[in-house]
Amino acid sequence: MFVVVHLAPGDPVDIMAGPALTADAAAQMRANFGLDRPLAVQYGRWLAAFATGDFGYSHTHQAPVRTVLASLLPNTLSLGAAALLGSFVLGILIGVVQALKHRTAVDGALSVVMLFFYSMPSFWLALMLTLTFGLMARNVWGWPIWFPASGMYSVDYQSLGSAARVVERLRYLTLPTLTLTLVLTAGIARFMRGSMLEVIGEDYVRTARAKGLSERRVIWGHAFRNALLPIATLSGLYVPLLLSGTVFVESVFGWPGMGRAMVEAVHARDYPLVMAGSFVFAVMVVAGNLLADVLYAAIDPRVRYD
Amino acid sequence: MHRLLLGTSIALATLMGASACAEDAPPVAWSDPFCQSVMPRVSAWLDSASAAAPAPTDDRYGGTLVAAGIEDLSRGGGMNAFLANDYVARQHQQYVTLMTLVRYGNDLEPEPWLAESWEINEEGTEVTFHLRDDVVWHDGQPTTAHDVAFTYERITDPAIGYVNAQFFEPWIAGEEGVQVVDDYTVRMRLTPHSEYLDPWTAVAIMPRHLLGEVEVEDLITHPFGSLCPVGNGPFVFREHLTDQQWTFVANPAFPGSLGGRPFIDRYVYRKIPEQATIFTELLTGGIDFYIQPRPEQVSRMEESAETVVKTFPSRTYAFLALNTRLPQFADARVRRALALGWNRSEFVEANLLEHGRVANGPVPPTHWAYDPGAADDLDYDPEEAARLLDEAGWVDRDGDGIRENADGVPLSFSVAYNAGNVIRQNAAEFMQGQLRGLGVDARAEAADYGELIGRVMTAGEDRDFESLILAWTVEFRLDDTPLFHSREFAGEAGFAGLRDAEVDRLLDAINTAESREEARPLWSAYQERIAEVLPYQFLYYPNRIMGLSSTVHGVEADLRGEWVNFKDWWIDPAAR
Repeated sequence: MFVVVHLAPGDPVDIMAGPALTADAAAQMRANFGLDRPLAVQYGRWLAAFATGDFGYSHTHQAPVRTVLASLLPNTLSLGAAALLGSFVLGILIGVVQALKHRTAVDGALSVVMLFFYSMPSFWLALMLTLTFGLMARNVWGWPIWFPASGMYSVDYQSLGSAARVVERLRYLTLPTLTLTLVLTAGIARFMRGSMLEVIGEDYVRTARAKGLSERRVIWGHAFRNALLPIATLSGLYVPLLLSGTVFVESVFGWPGMGRAMVEAVHARDYPLVMAGSFVFAVMVVAGNLLADVLYAAIDPRVRYD
Repeated sequence: MHRLLLGTSIALATLMGASACAEDAPPVAWSDPFCQSVMPRVSAWLDSASAAAPAPTDDRYGGTLVAAGIEDLSRGGGMNAFLANDYVARQHQQYVTLMTLVRYGNDLEPEPWLAESWEINEEGTEVTFHLRDDVVWHDGQPTTAHDVAFTYERITDPAIGYVNAQFFEPWIAGEEGVQVVDDYTVRMRLTPHSEYLDPWTAVAIMPRHLLGEVEVEDLITHPFGSLCPVGNGPFVFREHLTDQQWTFVANPAFPGSLGGRPFIDRYVYRKIPEQATIFTELLTGGIDFYIQPRPEQVSRMEESAETVVKTFPSRTYAFLALNTRLPQFADARVRRALALGWNRSEFVEANLLEHGRVANGPVPPTHWAYDPGAADDLDYDPEEAARLLDEAGWVDRDGDGIRENADGVPLSFSVAYNAGNVIRQNAAEFMQGQLRGLGVDARAEAADYGELIGRVMTAGEDRDFESLILAWTVEFRLDDTPLFHSREFAGEAGFAGLRDAEVDRLLDAINTAESREEARPLWSAYQERIAEVLPYQFLYYPNRIMGLSSTVHGVEADLRGEWVNFKDWWIDPAAR
């Protein structure tokens, strides 16, 4: 990873260069940034610092990487968590409905709608949502509620009371979450639909029906819970996917998050931030898998970790 | 099922509640030890200064102004004058939170700012600045000659790695070059130069009492600039949220004779990377100032009653750099043929929509040294272009429609541009189409900006590129030595690879000219020579464009920049 980012052409000094940069000054800048040493030495120094919790200095943010991560990570996590919750709740609901209304017009219509959002570029979808629920809603239709195009809260946030802050946060969170949710839901719904259909055909569901249980108990008590198992695994896989998926959404909605910062860091050859960010993403993947395991245990009584 | 929904809502509410409460904690940046010691002092000073300041009487005072641009200010060095590599960041240093010794007035003549007056000795080798004694740093310390001397010593010290090192070429480096006469008088030494005040209009003075102990090598990586800058200008820095926003408040103690406290109470600079989103924010009242909209967004803003557009000429020129080390570009006649061979005015009209003009040289028309007659023979002329190519020995020898030289090298090259820049992409494709008719195979090629810059700028004798579209934004101090002097052939900015004795001679002569009268003919000769050897194909001078809410008044932006009279902007009382 270290070698790959360093092998890409260009370095931070090249990116900062302007028409008044002399060759001598550039060489000195490189030395002051620690970029003049052989790659192996740079790696050794980076590794030694990394092991002690020093992630280095970000040239693009003019700040220690630790500070940058501490500012950006919570933003990405809150957006990611909201989108994950939203898409799974919506996806599971739609999946169940589709399975129950299997091969009806409802099933078909939902599939078409899901596919429509799934195949839409999230960048474009984000712009369209902003246009509709932000610009048009406020300026043309004069709706009482409209959604801001960017940011996590307004510039007057600090002066609000805590209840108003929560409302404001939700208002600013709505469009980015909706974008991610619409894009992600299709896959989950499809998965849930398949899983549910499979379970409904199982013997124990027939047994439950034969016992004379109400249809509601059969579906929600017996079938649903079993159908959730594969979805729990899926949730773990979605955690890292969400981080990469937020890049465009973070850009369009001016959401100061990690995904966008990572892409910009790669473009600007901000090596320490790229390295630390990759490390964080790796941790997320592990955490995602852990989450899946924990959910598994919660849903399936047969799974016990002693 | 109900449990699922309930769980979801509880989780979401907790998330929101937690993040809402977390906002009351001090900003993350303050965890830095330097900031921990500095920021509480700024807060305390601001409180006492606000209490001491008389209540504003004019109804222009008050309100919050929100600006938005695509980059975080820290990207350009933040408020660290030792690392100012970006136009917008430098504007904030010069006019928002820091102060320069001198600034340019409306007539582009130097006028007092931090320095009340100055004089230069007869030989032109010693400048003495007399500073105002009523400017204080935002932690209460006075700004004195020691701060100026500190800034001078550090910025001219080769060990700092200053990105605009060429600014200080005529000045005697280090301690020898500067002398504190008394607390408010400072003397500097230089080899005579006609534009000796230029660097002091561009470089903000930095606080010695905060940075004096920092090793010179560490100044360009110090958290001062981005996490907790302490300025002395009209606005006091309050907070920077990474990749999100910068917050400044009016300096209640800004000297009355410099206009006193700004009208605006609070100024927020937001980073929004997507221009379509900034545009929406302006139209929905989320921001008041859209920095540098795209030309095609202008008409929409002009139509709306809620927005106004201001444009002014910039100090930027866009160009196509040719790697003159390659056989295709080694002959100046070929470079000239390429300039004549496609219709730049048609391109500029179609793409910049009146917000720019054709460029013929590295000196913008707004600069005093610009000579309109120096490069007036570069208009579209395909016949002349074909003749030049024939004369230089580039003819189609194998009938494939592309010219070759005697060695069989085809006149073929890529025109690289950074992906996502629509105007540059159009320029590359427009060239490709028109030059094809001349038997020149120019291929538009998109690439990642970092990769392009890396290929082009990496210091060394050889460069891995053929041609590339870029733009330079210059300060008023114009010196093309790093670009075109053969001494800088292997330097970062010397990528065009020009080696021309006449250009070298003129650049050196300009740098030692002692007055504008002496420099002006040299500048004209230089512009003429550059138009002959054409290491760059000059493309256009774009205008700066400002998208403003119509509730913002008092904006007087010009060549000096958007923020030049920022402290005199005011917001409609009804719109606050």
